[in-house]
Amino acid sequence: MKTRRDFLRELIISVGGVTALTACGDAPVVVATATGEPGRFYTPEEMELVSRLSELIIPRTETPGALDVNVPGYVDGLMADWASEETQDAHRRALAEIDRRLSADGSFMALDETEAERSLAELDRSAFEEAAEDLGGYRTFKGYVTRSYFATEGGAQEELQWVGVPGRWDPDVLVTDRQGV
Amino acid sequence: MAEATEFDAIVVGSGMSGGMSAKELCERGLRVLVLERGPEIVPERDYSDQLAPWETPNFDNVSQDEIKQHYFRQYPGVPYALKESNKDFWVKDDEHPYEEAEGTRYEWLRGYHTAGRSIMWSRQTYRLGPQDFEANLREGVAIDWPVRYEDIAPWYEKVETFVGIAGSEEGLSQLPDSVFQPAFELTEAEKAFKQGVETAFPGRNVIPARVAHLTDATEEQRSLGRSNCQLRNRCHHGCVFRAYFSSLNATLPAAERTGNLTMVHNAIVQSLEFDSETNRVSGVRIVDAETNEARTYSSRIVFLNASAIASAMILLQSTSESFPNGLANRSDQVGRNLMDHVSGAGAAGIMRGFDDRKVFGRRPGGIYIPRYANVTENDKPYSRGFGYQGGASPLGNANGQIPGIGREFKESHRRPGPWRISIGAFGEQLPNPNNRVTLHPTRRDRWGNPIAVFEVRYSRNEEIMLEEARTDAIAMLEAAGCEQISSGPVNLTNPGNRIHEMGSARMGRDPADSVLNGWCQAHDVPNLFITDGAFMTSAACQNPSLTYMAFSARAANYAADLLAEGVL
Repeated sequence: MKTRRDFLRELIISVGGVTALTACGDAPVVVATATGEPGRFYTPEEMELVSRLSELIIPRTETPGALDVNVPGYVDGLMADWASEETQDAHRRALAEIDRRLSADGSFMALDETEAERSLAELDRSAFEEAAEDLGGYRTFKGYVTRSYFATEGGAQEELQWVGVPGRWDPDVLVTDRQGV
Repeated sequence: MAEATEFDAIVVGSGMSGGMSAKELCERGLRVLVLERGPEIVPERDYSDQLAPWETPNFDNVSQDEIKQHYFRQYPGVPYALKESNKDFWVKDDEHPYEEAEGTRYEWLRGYHTAGRSIMWSRQTYRLGPQDFEANLREGVAIDWPVRYEDIAPWYEKVETFVGIAGSEEGLSQLPDSVFQPAFELTEAEKAFKQGVETAFPGRNVIPARVAHLTDATEEQRSLGRSNCQLRNRCHHGCVFRAYFSSLNATLPAAERTGNLTMVHNAIVQSLEFDSETNRVSGVRIVDAETNEARTYSSRIVFLNASAIASAMILLQSTSESFPNGLANRSDQVGRNLMDHVSGAGAAGIMRGFDDRKVFGRRPGGIYIPRYANVTENDKPYSRGFGYQGGASPLGNANGQIPGIGREFKESHRRPGPWRISIGAFGEQLPNPNNRVTLHPTRRDRWGNPIAVFEVRYSRNEEIMLEEARTDAIAMLEAAGCEQISSGPVNLTNPGNRIHEMGSARMGRDPADSVLNGWCQAHDVPNLFITDGAFMTSAACQNPSLTYMAFSARAANYAADLLAEGVL
């Protein structure tokens, strides 16, 4: 049987902006495309669009935002390494559709922060509150962004207060502002 | 040094039942060889339970192309358990093919390695009840079990004490209590559901799932390096705390420490050799999975624990003048009566009033609703019954599938959101001799062994039962005040999907219509025992691993007695 170390070694393609912890003493591994590196799947234009959308969806607050933890690189890795050609094509089409919808009154990328936020919020409303059929691609994209964010160390530990080894079961915890999950 | 080839006992398979057989035989002082067809798993090297979410790429998903190439049957069957970091625990479908009879489907979900599927199981652990051993006789279905609940009860107790099961004492006759360690307490929403259901439906119960996790490890368990469950929900990846039961976490180390265990990996059993003069199995022929080298081991007794399907196939492959249709198969029952449990009916809904509550820890099991059909309620248009597994938990962030962007969206993930409860049925499949596994007449695997051909269909009873299970599930959610109740049309799981295959060498009283006697001993071949799921004369509706282990322990001690008495 292949050892975990062998397995990890084979998977290391590039070490991205997020550094993994080394729970078992192995080398850190993250297959996300590094911040600032060209996408392995995305074109430069797509990478810019994904970066902007990600940060609008999950901005930096008191905790890291999507760009701080390199969500665009994570999703780029997801598309390059996990997705089939069919999924890749669907994702590319979804980004084009999102860009088209957001750029109806001029380039989305040229909008200032407030305008961009307003524009995306409107599209999000259509996608989730009206469940617009042609925005299924956006819903999937938002899922990738959100899952990627919470799969990073920053998203999981700092924002979600994820605890690796809970060690006990409490079936009834009153919600306060900040508690582990 | 030449490898030893002669032993007191050979156990074929190191999984759930093989581990228990080996432990009991070793503890009786026998020199035991365990033959495992797959490679060795070394926990410190091969478990991936310590990985944090950010230490695995792509959400730990196996790439879509790789699934299509290697896991096209395994992955759709167990998407919840087959991940990038533990994919080696599952067989590659292109390397381990099988076929299905036209118009039928079968999911053969497997792992070939030390401890087999006991590493990846979902750990639900229940006793069968008295009704389960009597149903065939009462209803005139198939054949009668040659044992009754009282025969196996002390062995359940012995096995449970060793295994460690978290559960609550309920005093239910149809689901007898085990030897328990403290249960994982129900959530507040589950308690409300319990109250709603038990008030509206006297005779139905909502109890904590019984799971093979340590919550108050005993001295014996600690001595094996086991400790209490840490609530991580990483169980399908192994457990460095050895907190959930697997052969590798418990029975194999216990066998090992007797000094009587020899374990050989990559040893695929091809056939059992039969000596017509002594009327005994005289040798176990294996092919080495890596070198293709053939070897034969011999022993005074042989335990088949290769899983119900593989054990039946080994018998069918073991032809001789005395047994032209397969060893111990004078009844023609080997490979027949293949059963599983059937799911595909249930319901989910939102429980209001708990939005200010959440949980701490990731619990290994939720709730269980023991069988009530034809136990406490006798107005059913079907025979036998089902239990429900389920649970209530906060809906959480739904992977981003909620409206909003920006700070509010981001921080909404900290809140548990509404609580959702879901329950799904596990129903009993009736035995039917036409549901069977046979050997393909020509197609062989890479080691030259015939591949399996499955022909399994559900009966009308299972279809009606699951329709009723769906109706009952909705009614219970309504009674508990759930909102937004959803329940898709009944869509029966494919046979095999519950990974509870059993019945392929059933036990019975009459050698003419059964393969094994009440001690899991072959009627036709006294030194051959089969204690994986193959012996099951009917399926009951409870998850079966505990029952396999109890019968394994009982058979092993019986066999050791016969050896000591000189009978074998």
